[in-house]
Amino acid sequence: MALTRRALLGAGAASGIAAAGIAGYEIGSSSSDEEAVAGTAVPFTGRHQAGIATPAQDRLHFAAFDVVVDDRRSVRELLREWTAAAARMTAGRPAEPSAPNALLPPTDTGEAMGLGPSQLTVTIGLGPSLFDHRFGLASARPAPLQPLPPLPGDELDPERSGGDLCVQACANDPQVAFHAVRNLTRIGRGTVVMRWSQLGFGRTSTTSRSQSTPRNLMGFKDGTNNLKAEDVAALSRHVWVGSDGPAWLRDGSYVVTRRIRMLIEAWDRASLQDQQETIGRTKTAGAPMGERHEHDPVNLRSGAIPADAHIRLAAPDTNGGVRILRRGYSFTDGFDDELGQLDAGLIFIAYQRDPQRQFVELQRRLGANDALNEYIKHTSSAVFAVPPGVRSGTDWLGRGLFEAPT
Amino acid sequence: MRLLALVTAAVAAALLLASCGGSDDAKGGKKVSIALTNNGCAPAKLSTPAGPTTFEITNKGSDKATEFEVQKGSEILGEKENITEGLSGSFSLNLQPGRYTTFCGLATPKGVLVVTGKAQRAQANPKLDAAVRGYDRYVRDQVVALRTATKAFTDAVRAGDVEQAKQLYAAARVRYERIEPVAESFGGLDPAIDARINDVEKGQEWTGFHRVEQALWTKGSTKGMTPIADKLDEDVGLLETKVDAAGYQPAQLANGAVELLNEVSKSKITGEEERYSHLDLVDFQANVDGAKQAFVLLRPALNRRNPTLARTVASRFDGVDAALAPYRRGVTFVDYSTVDPAQRRKLSQAVDALAEPLSQVGGTIVAS
Repeated sequence: MALTRRALLGAGAASGIAAAGIAGYEIGSSSSDEEAVAGTAVPFTGRHQAGIATPAQDRLHFAAFDVVVDDRRSVRELLREWTAAAARMTAGRPAEPSAPNALLPPTDTGEAMGLGPSQLTVTIGLGPSLFDHRFGLASARPAPLQPLPPLPGDELDPERSGGDLCVQACANDPQVAFHAVRNLTRIGRGTVVMRWSQLGFGRTSTTSRSQSTPRNLMGFKDGTNNLKAEDVAALSRHVWVGSDGPAWLRDGSYVVTRRIRMLIEAWDRASLQDQQETIGRTKTAGAPMGERHEHDPVNLRSGAIPADAHIRLAAPDTNGGVRILRRGYSFTDGFDDELGQLDAGLIFIAYQRDPQRQFVELQRRLGANDALNEYIKHTSSAVFAVPPGVRSGTDWLGRGLFEAPT
Repeated sequence: MRLLALVTAAVAAALLLASCGGSDDAKGGKKVSIALTNNGCAPAKLSTPAGPTTFEITNKGSDKATEFEVQKGSEILGEKENITEGLSGSFSLNLQPGRYTTFCGLATPKGVLVVTGKAQRAQANPKLDAAVRGYDRYVRDQVVALRTATKAFTDAVRAGDVEQAKQLYAAARVRYERIEPVAESFGGLDPAIDARINDVEKGQEWTGFHRVEQALWTKGSTKGMTPIADKLDEDVGLLETKVDAAGYQPAQLANGAVELLNEVSKSKITGEEERYSHLDLVDFQANVDGAKQAFVLLRPALNRRNPTLARTVASRFDGVDAALAPYRRGVTFVDYSTVDPAQRRKLSQAVDALAEPLSQVGGTIVAS
């Protein structure tokens, strides 16, 4: 592990790529330009947690956990350890520093050695159930942090929904994302157990103007009109919790996750016209129907976009200006052996400042009327409060909540 | 699984450097003070005799030097990070003679550490010696009880008494499962006594407990089982002879305990071990008993090294007990086929929660 870091340091200096790492470390990447971009480190410290407005990486490993102990101190310690490990792994370093000892299991599991930081971000959230009677946090639960109400079209599997804590690990290398979740799970053993987990293999959203719009598994460009990291004012308005929220959550956010299974076989049987009218965009160019180019404005009055088209119902103009930051990924869990079909779809992840007023309102409309519902099923649901970022090497995620006077 | 990866004291002593893993262990060693400055580690050149050494690092105002590392070549042997202005920290190493590099931050020059004197050997530890003696006694007790219980079981098999044999099966299994890693260390004995049907290679005869288990529970018969019963007695007798001659290392006790829990995860929670009798939870408990015995014996030594780890492991053993409690029926357990997948998952998670800290015990007690 030490070797890795040293190799990176040299190359980073040579290629002039050195992100501001933690605690005075500068982490760069290997020599080729492509690898250099894929390998750079995203700063861990900051006003907001990384992994929200950060340009969406290619791969996801998301995991939700339940706390299995009943004392507040253990949860606090876990968040402290997770923060420190996340900071190190984000910088491309082992999860826990230690001298090699042949008689002990290695503190870091090792599969990310030599892969570099890979733009890893680790984003940690707190679920509504953490604020029950167990840890004395009930009075600190912010009003918007409650399980999402039943929504039209829900076919949720409770085993794959909810959770006391969540970890969203995104990276350009899937093994780096897996390594992060694995090591945090290991650190948490005895304090938390994994409740559910989802891998995502391709980003389906653009969160920066520097990125091109990817396609989802329906073959359509997705996220053209998403909020972008560069829209600082829009992020403040729609994503970051402001003075209306509790002090410990200010500059934080809320994340909603929905595992949306696509009924791929049915979709593949739909005509091109049906597919385009369902989404409201053309398949190849990604232009709004009635327009020519992907980035042409969506004209809801032109009559070209059907009343039940997805982009019409999801548009801010249809929803009183409500917007969310989408950061979803395509997934497949292989094969559905009950139906003999592909088990694939979108793990929808969205950040916002009030899930009840933003996601819930949007999904009420979409779940009731969206033409897309014929081809999708929402199979899991979760919501988490995402505390603000840490400001220094000694700070830890959630400190404001756990150290607040009760 | 080949367990008893015998970590001998000689191997431990041959390690160039063994970290003590933090200031908990900083007992009796020398202390070396290091200051972090914008010109690097101060002093930049250090000389100290070999042996346990604690580095005490302070940063009274450098923004460039924020950590202290001892390196040998490209390897970091010990380090303390994030010592920003006004902070201090420490770590311990058992230093062996040689020349090392010290490092306090990228923006500062590296320093030199010269360790003089003789190589350090692990010292005798009466607490560990007592643990080894205790474990030796435990294994002998179990193997004697195993022979007796097995004989009672095989007598019933030879007598053709299916019901009696079924009654006596569990008692023999418990004795074996408690000391399974020891049996596994004797090569072919474990397969002869404990192989499952899928462990047997083509052309080899399937012998041992599970062969009889299958006959009793699926065929309700002891037909053809007399030679298997005889062979089982013979193999258990052989195990007893080998146990008499065996010796153990402290780390073996701890690592054997982890192996016992790995056995639980791998074949008991899955219901593979006792697939005909569904007595998997009896084996589960016996594996945990064996692991706990090793831990209880090592605890005095561990308490000196790392009392926090000792407390964590103890409380996780309690967690496993609590997880098993709903399935206990007097001295035995419910039929494992009645335990549903969600319940099995909880058992598995309790075992993982215990095995993780337990895996730290072996290296911790023998570290110098």
